[in-house]
Formats: sequence, structure tokens, C-alpha cells
Amino acid sequence: MTSPWTAGHLPGLAEGEVGWQVLAFGAGAQKLEVRVPVLEPRQLRALARNVRAAARRELRTLSVSQVIRVIDAAVVRLLDPADPYRQEALRLLPTVSGYDAEMVRLGLDGYLQRFRAPQLHRFVAEDFTNPKVLDEFQPAIKGGAVRAFGPDLLLHSWAGNVPALPVWSLVCGLLVKAGTVGKLPSAEPVFASLFARLLAEVHPPLADCIAVVWWKGGDDASAAAVIAEADTVLAYGGNDAITQLRAQVPVTTRFIGYGHKLGLGLVARAALDTLRAPATARLAAHDVVRYEQQGCYSPHHFYVQEGGKVTPRDFAQYLAAELGNLQRRFPRRALALEESAAIAGWRQAAELQSLADAGVELLGAPDAAWSVAYSDAPQPLSPTGGGRSIFVSAVEALDEVVPLIAPHARFLQTIGMAAEPRELHRMADVLGEAGVTRICALGAMTSPEAGWHHDGRFNLLDLVRMVEVEASAERAADALAAYAQEPQP
Amino acid sequence: MNHVVVDNLLSFLAQDGCTDAEFDRVALHLFAEQHAANAAFHRFCAGRGVTPRTVKSWRDIPAVPITAFKEVTLSCVPAESAERVFMTSGTTRGDVKGRHYHPTMAVWDASMARHFAQRFMRGAERMRMAILFPSEQEMPNSSLAHYLAMATERFGTSDSLYALNLQGMDIEPLQRMLREAERTQQPCALLGASFSFVHLLDELARTGETFRLPPGSRILDTGGYKGHSRELPLEDFYAGLSATFGVPRELCINMYGMTELSTQLYDDGNAVVPSVKSGPHWLRSRLADPLTGREVPRGERGVLVHCDLANFNSVTTILTEDVGIAVDGGFQLLGRAEGAQAKGCSLAVQEFLQAART
Repeated sequence: MTSPWTAGHLPGLAEGEVGWQVLAFGAGAQKLEVRVPVLEPRQLRALARNVRAAARRELRTLSVSQVIRVIDAAVVRLLDPADPYRQEALRLLPTVSGYDAEMVRLGLDGYLQRFRAPQLHRFVAEDFTNPKVLDEFQPAIKGGAVRAFGPDLLLHSWAGNVPALPVWSLVCGLLVKAGTVGKLPSAEPVFASLFARLLAEVHPPLADCIAVVWWKGGDDASAAAVIAEADTVLAYGGNDAITQLRAQVPVTTRFIGYGHKLGLGLVARAALDTLRAPATARLAAHDVVRYEQQGCYSPHHFYVQEGGKVTPRDFAQYLAAELGNLQRRFPRRALALEESAAIAGWRQAAELQSLADAGVELLGAPDAAWSVAYSDAPQPLSPTGGGRSIFVSAVEALDEVVPLIAPHARFLQTIGMAAEPRELHRMADVLGEAGVTRICALGAMTSPEAGWHHDGRFNLLDLVRMVEVEASAERAADALAAYAQEPQP
Repeated sequence: MNHVVVDNLLSFLAQDGCTDAEFDRVALHLFAEQHAANAAFHRFCAGRGVTPRTVKSWRDIPAVPITAFKEVTLSCVPAESAERVFMTSGTTRGDVKGRHYHPTMAVWDASMARHFAQRFMRGAERMRMAILFPSEQEMPNSSLAHYLAMATERFGTSDSLYALNLQGMDIEPLQRMLREAERTQQPCALLGASFSFVHLLDELARTGETFRLPPGSRILDTGGYKGHSRELPLEDFYAGLSATFGVPRELCINMYGMTELSTQLYDDGNAVVPSVKSGPHWLRSRLADPLTGREVPRGERGVLVHCDLANFNSVTTILTEDVGIAVDGGFQLLGRAEGAQAKGCSLAVQEFLQAART
């Protein structure tokens, strides 16, 4: 038995000073143990204070372009096949997440490319017309001057096992020069730990500006110790977990919560001729398979328009066939009993619907590693059991989808869409009104572009505090300057 | 209703046990009957490519998920001709109740009486009983209410009492009965829903009263807490029962039953939890992967599948939502297979349903 892999990043604390808890991942030959740090609340408090002080000293003094260079250098290493950090990530993540190794590699590469320097500049430019406001006071258009300050201490509460997901918020924090304390998700404690260490190696002063910690969900004393030090709290997770955390955050501390979401796809008639339909189904299948539908952007339902050469039912068959193909290339990860039960429950419901009325049918054998349920009438939107289970239902017009999804506005995020331009833009208005925040191509659902507005928010603007020097202050100052001229009588 | 089937079944239940071959013979016979007479089940089997030809043993009979009792009519006779309909309490989906149709209660009652005598009465003829559950009149569609009514009628003395009605617990007559039992040293039995026992424990803890019931006294709880009371770990629950009533944990018996079955399963006390549960010779259980229905390797957790031959009119073989693990002499119950908690940031069904309800 090898010793457990050590997660976390604790500047200023030696290994022996903190407790450790071992989390077990995988099974059989793929078994892996990861130990996560367990700190006393007082240690967490001291750590948070040190991080805040270091960030003021080392991070606040860098220009945003310098910060981007550091992140870029780290990301370049993670994209380099010879780099030990990358090798470590690719060795650990498949076991920790259970995802197919090849899927992890492809996913990680696609994902990390979004954090190269040009993309990061775009990311900043998306939120700040003049990115220099992050470095120094800049003239404001209305008069006076303005500067954006990031939080002194930003607490991230990460969740989920979509590999490397914490990088989004970590990078956001760095771009606004915030001291970072991140709480690892028990489901994937690896990548954020690696990334923090790599940043520290690329630019050593950063080592003290980031802490990556862990505490058991529901450990309010630990949460409270860090929350008390933070200016801003970013929380990811289910609404229950977010509610629980938010209840602990003082009203004077900024709180930003990203809850769980539900994705879906729309396929218009234009994509359903005999040439395009199989390709469209392939893209749709890709969105289903990538991260086993665990992402907030992952699809659970495709609404397919009638009247094309290829019927919605045929489309469902194509989709089933593509899922079958992808199973050979990227086998589904082993399911825990609870996951099997969730998928079985969903399959049973579809099966019973098919027993009760002729409109619903279930494609795929019970032991296939994917399931497609098809209905020839539009079905309400609801999460499937995940693990490559997807509902396809037929609609006459795409507009029929709107009343089906609008009641779930607070859970909407991504819609993957295959439609002609006029239909795309017409539907964008309607869907936006219904609560959707991101419309993308099929096949791109699981890879949002750099600078996207996660859940309709400004990733960076949400974090900063704008400081204004009003024109009146400038005028008043002028009047007090040594060079001021007395008003002429 | 097929009287020959019922008569054969009654004599099968009355046997002292059965061989594997005998069990399979009855199971396959009932499967063929249900496959032919039950339209919904026929379609269900067709969807799995299963026919009486392909079924060689009870393990091959497709297990019908218990949610099916909510969605379709699982009966070989017209539903309206049933003598009795038991309905689920609707704890998981408040609006829709599962229905189990019984053309005659003869089999259900025989199954209950035979197994109850073996596993709970253990040779005792009659015993004074207190029931912590509403009466059969108050809850005519509850299989548990019928079960407890049968227990008092067939195995209780005439001074047995109901300590609970739809309005709440009537604790004073119960306290009197327990004190009387202490005085007369006549063993008695407390039977009821697990959550009612939690309420009773809380109530007695408030007054500080405890009892030392005479030897031979026993307790039967069933059904878990279902959100009706605070969740009490099994260890604390049985320790509390034993301390409050002076009944050894070996005689605190948990009954595992469900509306969708016609037979109950029991453990042999709860000195050690989780206890080992088992059914009578006319019921067999296996542990399956919920997705494929295939049996899991021994020692691994799976979802319970029961083949209950007393279910002659609905379907013999059901797929539950209960997680268990096979051990010598039966299985341990490990709780419900709640939908997977979301590991990613995709909305999980549970949370969605919760939100849809509020």
C-alpha cells in the first residue's frame, strides 16, 4: 500500500502542525487514497490572516498583465505533456473522478486552453472596458477617476467532481488580486491543490497568497473561522449547501452563490435533413457523455422539432447509436449503488410511462451504459438520472419548449442549439426571457468560452469594489493646490 | 379469481418448509398465470424480452419496481372486484399512492398468521398487546393497520388496547397497562410503527417513567421514521426501548413489510444492529444491481428484490428501493437507496423535486 497523496496548500504551516483525514477513491487496482488537511478553527483564522497580508504585499502590487503572465506560465506547463504537474493530474484525476482517462485528458486540454494569456486578457476585457482600472486610478467617462479593488480575502467553497472546475474561480480571484482561501470539494480534492502549488512554483511570492484547505461539510466552526476573515464568499454547490453557508455569512460580507443547474438542447428542423441529422446527433451525444452529465451545463433533455426529413424519433435513434459508439471510445465510469439507483429510478419512470401510454419508449437495453427515452409529445423538463441518460421529445415548434422550461427559471443555464440563424436569434430572445443564460452550439455545451457570464453574472465585476474619485474632489483639490490661482475679483 | 391457485397456495404455506425445486415450481406457475392475466405485467415482461419460456427459476422473473404499483394496475382480476385494496402511505410522492389489490384476504391472512406466530409469538398462544398505530377502521387501506388488527384478534388477549388514534397518542391507558404488567408479572407486547415508539420514548422521557416489564414481554416495531419523528440511530432506538421498558434487545423485533408484499420479514431481535432479516419459506430475497436487475456478488451492497409467493394476484417479484447486504441467514437492511447526491454541479433529481414541491 502506497502512502496517500497529500492535498491542500497551507502556506506557513508544516505538515505535522495540522491533522489529516484520508479520503478513498476508486476501487481495485485503481484505488487511491488522498489525505486532506484538517485545521483547527484558530489555525484557519491565522492562515486566512496571513494570506490576506501576503496578497496585499505580493499580489496587489502586480499589474493585471503580470498576473496574467503568471497564470499563463502555469497553464502552459499544465498543457505540456512532459510537465510533472500535468502528469500527476492525469494520473490522479481519472481515479478520483471515475471518468475515463482519455476523456479527462481531452477535457482538461480543451478546458485549460481557455486560460492562456490571450484568453485571460479577453476575460478581463469582457468585464472591464479599461482593464487598467485593476491596477491604478483611471479617468472615468463621467468625470473624475475610478479604480477597481478586489477583495482582500476571497473565500471559495468549491463543489463537484468535474475535474479542475475550481480553476475558474481561482483564476477570477487572482485576476482581481484577491488573497485566496479555497475549500476543497471532497469529491475532487486534487486539481486545486496541484494548481496552487504550481502557481507558487512559477511565481514563488504567490505561495503565501493562496491557501487550499478542507473541512468536513457541516463543520460550522471551521467555516465560521474563515468566513469571519473574508470580504467575499463564493460558493458552489446544491441549494441546500449554499443556503447553509449563506446563513453563516454576515450581511456586510459579499456572498455569491452558484447553485446546481439543468441543461437542455433544442434541435430545429433545419438540422434534421438526412445529411445533417447524424452529425447533429453526434454532437449532442458528445455533450451527454462529457463529464457524465455532472456539469451544470450538461444536457438532460433534447427537444427535437418535427417536420424535418429525419423525425424526432429517428433523431433519438441516431443519438442512441452515437452513445453506443462513444461507450466504446470513452466507457462510462463505474457507478456507485446510489448512482445506479438514480438511473434505474429514471429508467423505471420512463418504462412505466411506456406501459401506461404508447407515446413514450425507452431505447437501449437495461445493461447498456446509456439510456435514451423518447416521447412523441413534448415532456416537462426534469433532470434524468445522469450517467448518460437523456430524454428526447418531439415538438412541433421550438416555442413549445418555453412554457415547459419557464417554471424552472432558477435552474436554467445552458441551452445547446442547432437551428438556422433566424430561428437562433428569435429563440434567443424568448429563451433569455425564460431564464436561460447561455446559448451555445451542440457539442460545445460542456466547454463555455473564455469570458462567459457564468449563470448570467459578471465573474470579475461581481468580485470588485469600485473606488471613485469624483470630479468635485478633483476640482476642490485643484483649488487647494500650491499652484492654484486666486479667483479674480 | 382462480380458487385452485389459492387452495394450492394455502397448502403450500402450511407446509413445514420447501425445497428449492418446490419453490421454483410454485414461482414459475404463478409467473405464467400473472404473465397471461395481467396486461401491464405482460407488457413489462415484453419490454425485457422475457416470457414463461425463458424463465427457469424464481431468479429469472423480472422484478417489477415498486413505483409500478403507483402507475399501473397490477392485478390478474379486475381491480374493482378485489375484496381489499391496500394503499401505500405515499411518503415519497404524497399525491400518488401505490395500490395492491387482493381478490381474497385468505392468503394474506394465512401468510401473516403463520409467520407472526413463528417469529414474534415464538410458541406463546396469546399475550396482552398494546398497539401504537391507528385502528383498521380508522385506516382501512393500510396493510399495517390490518396486520396489527390481526395480531390483536388472533394473538392478543381480550384486554389488549390501542394506544393511538388519528388524533394522537393516548398515553395514560398504556401506562396503566404497563404498570399492571409489572405488578401481575404477565408478559405483554408493544407493537407499532417505529416513529410512534420514538414519540412514546420522548413522552416517557419527559415524565421520567421507566418500566421493568416481566420476562417474555416483547416489542415489535416497523416501518422506520418516514419523517414522522426525529431520526434516531438504530443503536440508540433499541437501547432506548430496552432501557425504558426493560425488554431485552433480543426481544425487540423489527418487522420489515411493505404494502406491495403479502408477507412480512422479521429479525430475531436487535441485540446487534443492523439485524439479520429473513422471510418464511414462501418468500425469497436477493440483492440486485438496480439498473440491470442482476444479482450483485455476495458481500456487496445491492437493492432488495423479493419473490413473495403470497403475491398471487399482483406480481410475485418486486424490486424495492431498500439497500441491503446478504449475510448468513438472510440480509441486513442498510436503508433506502436515495437518489445519488449530486457529485457534480448538475441538478440532482432529489433537489429538483424538492424545489418543485415548495
